[in-house]
Amino acid sequence: MSLAEVLRLPVALRRATLTKAFIPQPILASRAYTPTFQHLQRRHGTTDAAPHTTSSSVNHTEVSHFNALASSWWDPQGSSRLLHLMNPLRHRFIRRCLAYDDRDEAQKLRYLDIGCGGGIFAESAARLSTTRSVTAIDPTPEVIAVAKRHQRTDPSLLEAGRLTYLNTAIEDLPNHDDGRYDIITLFEVIEHIQRPSPFLQSCISHLKPGGWLIGSTIARTPVSWFTTKLVAEDLLRIVPRGTHNWNQYIQPQEMRDWARMQPELSTSDGIDWQVMGVVYVPGVGWRQVKGSEAWGNYFFGVRKRWDAE
Amino acid sequence: MALTRSVAFRKLLALPPDVRRRLWSSAVSVTPGKPDIYDVVCIGGGPAGLSFASALKAHSATRALKVALIDAQDITTSRTGNDGDAYSNRCSSLTPASSRFLRKIGAWDHINTGRVQPYHAMDVWDGVSGSKIHFDPRRYEAGSDYGVVATMCENGNLTAALLQRLQALTTGDAGAGSVCDILDKTKVESIELGPQPETEETVDLSQWPIVMTSQGQLAARLLVGADGANSPVRQFVDIPSHGWDYGQHGVVATLELEQTFAADEVRTAFQRFLPTGPIALLPLPGNKASLVWSTSPQHAAKLKQLPPNDFVAMVSAAFRLMPVDVNFMLSPDMAVTPSEELRWREPATSPSSTGLPSTFPWITGVQEGSIASFPLRMRHADTYTGHRVALIGDAAHTIHPLAGQGLNLGLADAEALANQITYGMEHGMDIGSSWCLDGYNSERWAANNAMLGVVDKLQKLYSASAGPVVWSRSLGLEAVERMSWVKGALMGVAAGAK
Repeated sequence: MSLAEVLRLPVALRRATLTKAFIPQPILASRAYTPTFQHLQRRHGTTDAAPHTTSSSVNHTEVSHFNALASSWWDPQGSSRLLHLMNPLRHRFIRRCLAYDDRDEAQKLRYLDIGCGGGIFAESAARLSTTRSVTAIDPTPEVIAVAKRHQRTDPSLLEAGRLTYLNTAIEDLPNHDDGRYDIITLFEVIEHIQRPSPFLQSCISHLKPGGWLIGSTIARTPVSWFTTKLVAEDLLRIVPRGTHNWNQYIQPQEMRDWARMQPELSTSDGIDWQVMGVVYVPGVGWRQVKGSEAWGNYFFGVRKRWDAE
Repeated sequence: MALTRSVAFRKLLALPPDVRRRLWSSAVSVTPGKPDIYDVVCIGGGPAGLSFASALKAHSATRALKVALIDAQDITTSRTGNDGDAYSNRCSSLTPASSRFLRKIGAWDHINTGRVQPYHAMDVWDGVSGSKIHFDPRRYEAGSDYGVVATMCENGNLTAALLQRLQALTTGDAGAGSVCDILDKTKVESIELGPQPETEETVDLSQWPIVMTSQGQLAARLLVGADGANSPVRQFVDIPSHGWDYGQHGVVATLELEQTFAADEVRTAFQRFLPTGPIALLPLPGNKASLVWSTSPQHAAKLKQLPPNDFVAMVSAAFRLMPVDVNFMLSPDMAVTPSEELRWREPATSPSSTGLPSTFPWITGVQEGSIASFPLRMRHADTYTGHRVALIGDAAHTIHPLAGQGLNLGLADAEALANQITYGMEHGMDIGSSWCLDGYNSERWAANNAMLGVVDKLQKLYSASAGPVVWSRSLGLEAVERMSWVKGALMGVAAGAK
């Protein structure tokens, strides 16, 4: 949404949009002269008010928020409906990333799903014929319990090693070479992390060389504040209140700039770095909209170098 | 085919998939109370159920699904006869869209094409006013299906072809790793939800439908009801089905014509709207034709009692005489036989007053034992899907036969549901969940509702004999007759073009 479009809104809405959207964002204001990845770096260096262990990315306010929502993960009309509807796009995006690999088709993939919640993506990845195994982790104990309970309703997911849920933070996940993953997914996770930079670094240490780090999040713009906070949470209430913290949203450019700083990652356009903007159209569903990554929900994929450790 | 039962279900699950699959299909042991787990259980081995199962087995994304198809009848041995002189009275008019689907899943190659008859033109006329509409062949080319309005095919020919296709897809080298257990002569005793899990760690089938049959129990990730108008599956999920009875019966028969047609000749379907209901003559190969006559239950009962020559005379009368004469000939106090009546009334009735097409053939006989009747209804289920359940074909909807759409809608359901399951498999969905099935319901319910509505309104419109209704519908028909582009569009719709 451009400034002109914001100005066309009714006065009350506009005032709300402008105050909320423009005041608490030192990052946007300073973007002109600071490298954009500073957003990620700075939060890394800031001491958060919420208590957390020194090694963990886990935000305890978030954990209790998702504990309270646990029961509705698998309700078709429940608060996770938008995530369920988005799930096919996640697979489409992963396929798009893998399309650039000259991978052996018979080589089945090992997934690590971080912040798996009730298991919407983890279950679906475990069902694919191209999957060898899925390990899914979440720091919230109650959602892991929900995920495990739901896993038992599908005998195909109980096959040994097919789908394993662990109640852990990524920093506490054992890391050894033969247990590394082809694909690590972070769907709707980074916006819930207070210090994304060390978090993302712990993620890539679990990737095989040539493996993909794939995620989705929301760009920090007035439009995304308007759609995800005001409309989705406050007006339509299709997303539970307090789910998102707009200040933690990340721009695709910030993601990419951060990735460029990481020696293990390869970010050449189209081959090792992929981005796809998506928009939820009520009554239609999620649709890919070219360019919308700049102002709304988007997917990103970045590959670990083949010669990385 | 014997049902397989796993002894140690959990141990089996721990094995690699290919080993497990082999064990699963070879282990025959008796452990009462343990259901066999299937991805898809389809109840009903009619055209909808068989084409759905074939579509799953024909697609690479869904061929590995473990499928069971249950039917109470003996569907594996009953085949249509190859007697060129006898045709079943249960025929359907396959639209080009249906033929396309059957070709796509490879079933068309198994059809006995010597027993099917495409037709290329239609004559439809109003029995009260005589106003008519003629649909010409559109760019007909002999030997191609271009310009084909629809293809008459015996239901037995179609189901036999689908069954052969299904067996070809699941046996031999081509069928390796693809399971479709056909449990025919198998009665469904009940459908229940699965038991509560034994412990907090074991598999939980408490939301899975379990089909109890005379041959064992089948747990279904997705239970498909292709089980006809009184669908037990629909009753299990408690989906209401609304509609009404038309107070009409459909009388069907296989007729013989005076003229014998060559295989590549342009053929015409005839339909006349009488106030008691439409009567249609649909071409079959050679000198055969299929009759569908919707009429009052009294007339239907009387027709079934007539000797063959009088039945033939009555059918001819229904096409050739004024409606008042047809009613009179079927009235209980009729003292003279229909044959005698027709002999003097027919020459006295001018074709211009009835709208009789000049090409309408003379009917010379009726195949012995081919006259049957059934009540006509309109029913539509409120929804086609529930948790781990989907309805297709007559289980979802029953339609008046006047447009010959019933079986075609069932095939379209089968195709749409199979497509939706393909989409679900490609995106890791649980194919029994609403996330996967919602798309099927939204695609087919509205389309079927529109077709049911149009056919129902046509039926009501042509049941009227009151002056103003007849004038206006005749004006409408005449207007359409003069506007070639509207006719073209109508033909397209009738042919199932998308």
